[in-house]
Amino acid sequence: MTVERQSSYVPGKGETTASSKAVGFFRAMGAVVWKDLSAELRSRELLSAMLVFALLVILIFNFALDLDPATRRQSTITAGILWVIFVFAGTLGLNRSMAIEKDRGCMDGLLLAPVDRSAIYFGKALGNLVFMLMVEIIVLPIYSLLYNVNLFNPGLLLVILLGSIGYVAVGTLLAAMAVQARTRDILLPILLFPVVLPVILAAVKASTGFLDGLDMIEIRPWLNLLIAYDIIFSAVAFMVFDYVVEE
Amino acid sequence: MILSLLLQDATANTTSYMIAGFAIIFGVMLIYLISLLVRQRNLQRDLEVLQDIQEDEK
Amino acid sequence: MESKPRLLTILDVVTVVLLLIATYMVFFYAPQEAVMGDVQRVFYFHVAAGWVGMLSFLVAAVAGIFYLVKKDHKWDIVGLAAVEIGIVFAFINIVTGSIWARPIWNTWWTWDPRLTTASVMLLIYLAYLMLRQGIEDPDRRARFGAVYAIVGFLSVPLTYFSARIFRTIHPIVIGSGDPGAQGAFDMTPLMLRTFMFSLLTFTFIFVDLLWRRIRLGRKADQVEQLRLKTME
Repeated sequence: MTVERQSSYVPGKGETTASSKAVGFFRAMGAVVWKDLSAELRSRELLSAMLVFALLVILIFNFALDLDPATRRQSTITAGILWVIFVFAGTLGLNRSMAIEKDRGCMDGLLLAPVDRSAIYFGKALGNLVFMLMVEIIVLPIYSLLYNVNLFNPGLLLVILLGSIGYVAVGTLLAAMAVQARTRDILLPILLFPVVLPVILAAVKASTGFLDGLDMIEIRPWLNLLIAYDIIFSAVAFMVFDYVVEE
Repeated sequence: MILSLLLQDATANTTSYMIAGFAIIFGVMLIYLISLLVRQRNLQRDLEVLQDIQEDEK
Repeated sequence: MESKPRLLTILDVVTVVLLLIATYMVFFYAPQEAVMGDVQRVFYFHVAAGWVGMLSFLVAAVAGIFYLVKKDHKWDIVGLAAVEIGIVFAFINIVTGSIWARPIWNTWWTWDPRLTTASVMLLIYLAYLMLRQGIEDPDRRARFGAVYAIVGFLSVPLTYFSARIFRTIHPIVIGSGDPGAQGAFDMTPLMLRTFMFSLLTFTFIFVDLLWRRIRLGRKADQVEQLRLKTME
């Protein structure tokens, strides 16, 4: 993994230092994402864990909520179960992703690089988002098949994207903290769930709305809430991440 | 039963709930205040013990 | 910092007096509510406790910001103190809310926006404590606490809005009446005065307890430092 050293980057003619800083930022961010993705491509341990877990949750729900087919196909049930799956699988992903950094000492290496800490945050968050989306993309058709529900609804996909962004934005920050505590594994859900509740609430309502084919007017407030949340928490996490990883 | 009372336009008898409510309010506040005082006293005692040890070590 | 400051003693006295007056007002000055009866009197302190809960949260978040910016340890003490007090009053708020709900709405619990938000706030407070418990390094503990207090504080209004929108689209009818419309009663001037006075009283209680808890925190730090020194 190479990270572009800012000190050795000499702005060429016509380039301002501001734009070269931005280039450095995105390069660093890209490097972090690429590191996570290529490592995962090789070992696939994170994705397989999340996927198997998601399938197991579907299985458990099948028996825990023993519903007749008609009830089961209701949008509220579908949306609810899907988001529970995503939330729990997501927690797994966040935890593992950060634990790998810490255990392999990658975090220290990253921090030594002369890049903006927030580039590391966005890189990690983006990586986490990609993993979460990959799991979601696989779970959707499987759930569709098992329960005879059509989940290929562009609105639903949009909600899943927005919700995942919000979840990962705050989750990456909190996971970075949780992984440094003694009670590492159990701590992330405790920290995350109360704070991410508005996202889940809005995501479930919006998902239900799209599955029901409701008017955009009804769904719009939930989408707005999701977007607001995504923006607010990305911004806050970006500002505060420095304090969480400094030694 | 409350519903029928309400429909009759009489004031519901909710005194027992009121008592429970205030018991919680004053009770919990009192317990917290006492815990603060107890902890303060314990810490003071620890401080004195530690200071004595410091003195002895000199 | 061993002797108790005179100002705190004065504050203690003022607070107790205010509480006595407020209690008198709640039981004798304010009239009995026509429909709900006596349990409505709990409302004054119930809302006041909720107010203190939110105020504590704000103080914790602001203390968090100050700690991150100034790196002065005293802000960490303030933050922890505020969270502890917040837990106490959020708890009072939720339980009295439940006690009120039972005879009025025929249910111990309802997921209305305010109760939902109150319980989420309490959970965030508790998570804050669990976060601190899991970290040994005091500086890291303070930093993480500060970050979580800020993040938590920002998320609570969003939870409230979500729950509000949830209710306007799907009004819930529970038991004997719609909780959204219910629970609101017209406050006569006497009630209003009692209400405002209760808010004032509980604000004083908050400041008094916060100051006491901060002193406790400082003493705990003193003891801890001395303990480390003794072990050298």
